[in-house]
Amino acid sequence: MKHRLLAWGLALPAILLVAIFLGLPVIETLLTTFADPKGAFAPYIKFFNSGFRRTVLWRTMEVAVITTVLSVLIGFVTAWVVANAPAKAKSYLIIAAVFPLLTGVVVRSFAWLVILGKNGILNSLLLALGVISEPFSMLYTQGAVIVAMVYLFVPLMILTCVGVLEGIPQDLTDAAASLGATQWGIFKQVILPMAVPGLIVGAVLVFTGSFTSYATPQLLGGERQMMMGTFLHQRAMVVFDWVGASTIAAIMVVVTLATVLLMSRLARKLNPVAG
Amino acid sequence: MTVSLTLENITAHYGKTMVLEDLDLHVGEGELVSLLGSSGCGKTTTLRLVAGFLEPTSGRIRLGERDLTRLPSHARDIGLVFQTYALFPHLSVRDNVAFGLKQRGIATSDRNKRAMDMIERVGLSGFADRYPANLSGGQRQRVALARALVIDPPLLMFDEPLSNLDAKLRVEMRVEIRRLQQANGTTALYVTHDQEEAFSISDRVAIMNKGRIMQLDTPEVLYSRPANAFVADFVGFENVIEAVATGEEGGMILAEAGGAQLKLPKSHFELPAKEFLLAARADGLLVAETGEGLPATLGLRTYLGRAYQYVCETRAGNLTANGPLGAPLETGANAVLIPQPEQCCVLHREAR
Amino acid sequence: MKRKLHPALIAFAVLVFIFLTGPLVIIIGSSLSSSEFLEFPPQGLSLRWYENAFDISAFRRTMGTSFFLAVAGTALSMLVGVPAAYAMARYRVELPGWLGNVFVLPVLIPEIVLGFSIMKTITTGYEVPVLPSLLIGHALLVLPYCVRVTGASLNSFDFSIEEAAVSLGCPRWKAFFVVILPNIRAGLIAAFILAFITSLNDVSISLFLTGPGVSTLPIQLLAHMEQFFDPTIASVSVVLMFITVGVMAVVERTLGLTFLTK
Repeated sequence: MKHRLLAWGLALPAILLVAIFLGLPVIETLLTTFADPKGAFAPYIKFFNSGFRRTVLWRTMEVAVITTVLSVLIGFVTAWVVANAPAKAKSYLIIAAVFPLLTGVVVRSFAWLVILGKNGILNSLLLALGVISEPFSMLYTQGAVIVAMVYLFVPLMILTCVGVLEGIPQDLTDAAASLGATQWGIFKQVILPMAVPGLIVGAVLVFTGSFTSYATPQLLGGERQMMMGTFLHQRAMVVFDWVGASTIAAIMVVVTLATVLLMSRLARKLNPVAG
Repeated sequence: MTVSLTLENITAHYGKTMVLEDLDLHVGEGELVSLLGSSGCGKTTTLRLVAGFLEPTSGRIRLGERDLTRLPSHARDIGLVFQTYALFPHLSVRDNVAFGLKQRGIATSDRNKRAMDMIERVGLSGFADRYPANLSGGQRQRVALARALVIDPPLLMFDEPLSNLDAKLRVEMRVEIRRLQQANGTTALYVTHDQEEAFSISDRVAIMNKGRIMQLDTPEVLYSRPANAFVADFVGFENVIEAVATGEEGGMILAEAGGAQLKLPKSHFELPAKEFLLAARADGLLVAETGEGLPATLGLRTYLGRAYQYVCETRAGNLTANGPLGAPLETGANAVLIPQPEQCCVLHREAR
Repeated sequence: MKRKLHPALIAFAVLVFIFLTGPLVIIIGSSLSSSEFLEFPPQGLSLRWYENAFDISAFRRTMGTSFFLAVAGTALSMLVGVPAAYAMARYRVELPGWLGNVFVLPVLIPEIVLGFSIMKTITTGYEVPVLPSLLIGHALLVLPYCVRVTGASLNSFDFSIEEAAVSLGCPRWKAFFVVILPNIRAGLIAAFILAFITSLNDVSISLFLTGPGVSTLPIQLLAHMEQFFDPTIASVSVVLMFITVGVMAVVERTLGLTFLTK
């Protein structure tokens, strides 16, 4: 009893911080969308009736899915190489992956502004090689946003996958080999099934991260490639339509939480260890 | 200063589960008492209650004249040696040993001197500036011992202190523990699941089961005269046979068990009642081709080095018995099991 | 035994690492340019854009704010997060299992939603001034790191060490400081650093909580980029990168980098 009281007492300040400054505001935001004088679901009806808004949602989904797939593929293959690299090389490769991760989103998105701009490096390079005759802007396209986002999330995926791959006990692959499995067989039947739950966790991070991102679509997509994050900011801070912004926020919360819940359930189901 | 430890009517719960039931225990001045039992028997709970890490639901704990029951742990003044040693990884050997003295507000120079003396006494001089990570298991155990002893506690407690050491070191360390405890004349409570360890160093041993003390006695008594079937089984009387006394004949008790007549020397056995239990170690039933004993059919034979061991089918049930090395008998053979008084004892039927 | 790698895989990984480090090299290069425009490779070398960055008072001011928020926000978060992590590790039976999820909420709820909601309810609704709102937002943002990373080192902690201290006459509250904290130092440093960097780089929370006179460096960078496209941004970015390098060196020294893959 005494211990229980002490335990709750120690946890209380942190609980209060979350409850008051996260719980309260977020719940209020969600409630705002149901308190519209035009009817409980009016803001949502408005959202889904507007072609523009649907496009924004669809585009955000599309960018997030493509980013996730690319990041997982690139990240996993690279992590495979990193995990099997000699110890010395491995530590350098991990530093090379960690460093971008610790560099801010603004700085990393800005780099692509320099690369993809009309006077950017890629244009100069293509001009010099004679591939194109005059520079064209690659900015403010979906491609630009996706490239920058993949750039943003590949390091995260590499680190997650290295962790996952190194967590697979050597005994298991040795056992498989002793039972006559080929290299490819070991990969397909032992490593991949064991890595999948970890991959899903990583993929969820990438998906939710790109689905709710702001700085990258703002810098590389601009007005033309409005995404949910930039759209929320525009509604809230430029147009001061707080109900509209809250509606966007609510949709983001629902999509994010649904993804996290569904995928973590899937990961648990696929986890060969937990059964 | 030697004092005694007394636990009176201690009942303890873990959540809703009762883990100790109306337990009484007295450890005399300068005595070392072991609590022996398998995991979950309540031995560690008892120690943690005395240390103050748990609170009893009811009952009292006294150390000499002091009532510890509601006293906070840090004020109890008990030297404690942990299973995992629980050395402070961030402190050197010297600072680990001096920790308790520091809490008592003893000046640095005095503190260091006393710590160094104790480090020397446990045979670790030259290791004072090392950190726990750079010590072997045995050395860590010595530091843990020194740390508990240096505060000169009226009571020392050990929680399975040797279970992380290899067999050879275990024997060495238990001698060391006994030596230091006797030299200081400190009252001690020792928790272990290792029978040999408990018997070898204790003045008395309490064998525990399901939150109760089944028997508290000297090792010698426990070993030869267990009070009930649980203790008998625990100290190695593998076979329990139901028997009925039928009469006496020239210093021998006549009894009937499993359809056969047994003769037990009166000098060795004191029957609790006419109907009793005969408990026998495997060595207490000699497997022979002929003789006066329990008829048996031999089953699987295993080699023990000093003897052969047989699984035996008898009318009193399946028994384990040993036979001499000279003449191994084959599976399926008929034999008799002759009780060996020194390796047998009798129990009350109700003590089953 | 490491597995043999196919040359094609190695080539692929090399390309990926060029992809990862190239853009950062380009930023460093263009920050050293002597011309008016962002270009790479630079035509001439100079440090004028670094001077320019420090001459712009908005950068100086917002960098100060960002540092203040990162230090104070993380400190605040550690102050409430470490006891919570301790309670969850020490009293596993007494506390419900879902409690851990509460402290992960700040990463579960989209950051931008959190920023917007705090602005709407706390700053506008309860009229809390901008700076305290920012501080709370940042403390919340980094709380998951403080609780989880500290918790990871506490979960492998042998609490009999705490009991040993208590049995030697050290009161519980004091044992927390003299025995527990020194032994989870690595976890505390890791938590602090991850939190610090997260806070320093944050955009989505600060986005809504910057007002007249109060802004953070990343927000100021975004604003500057919308008006100017000169190497000043690159030089500020490089300064931020150097801070990151410094932090990584500290991490490497104290913990080794492998903890990041765990």
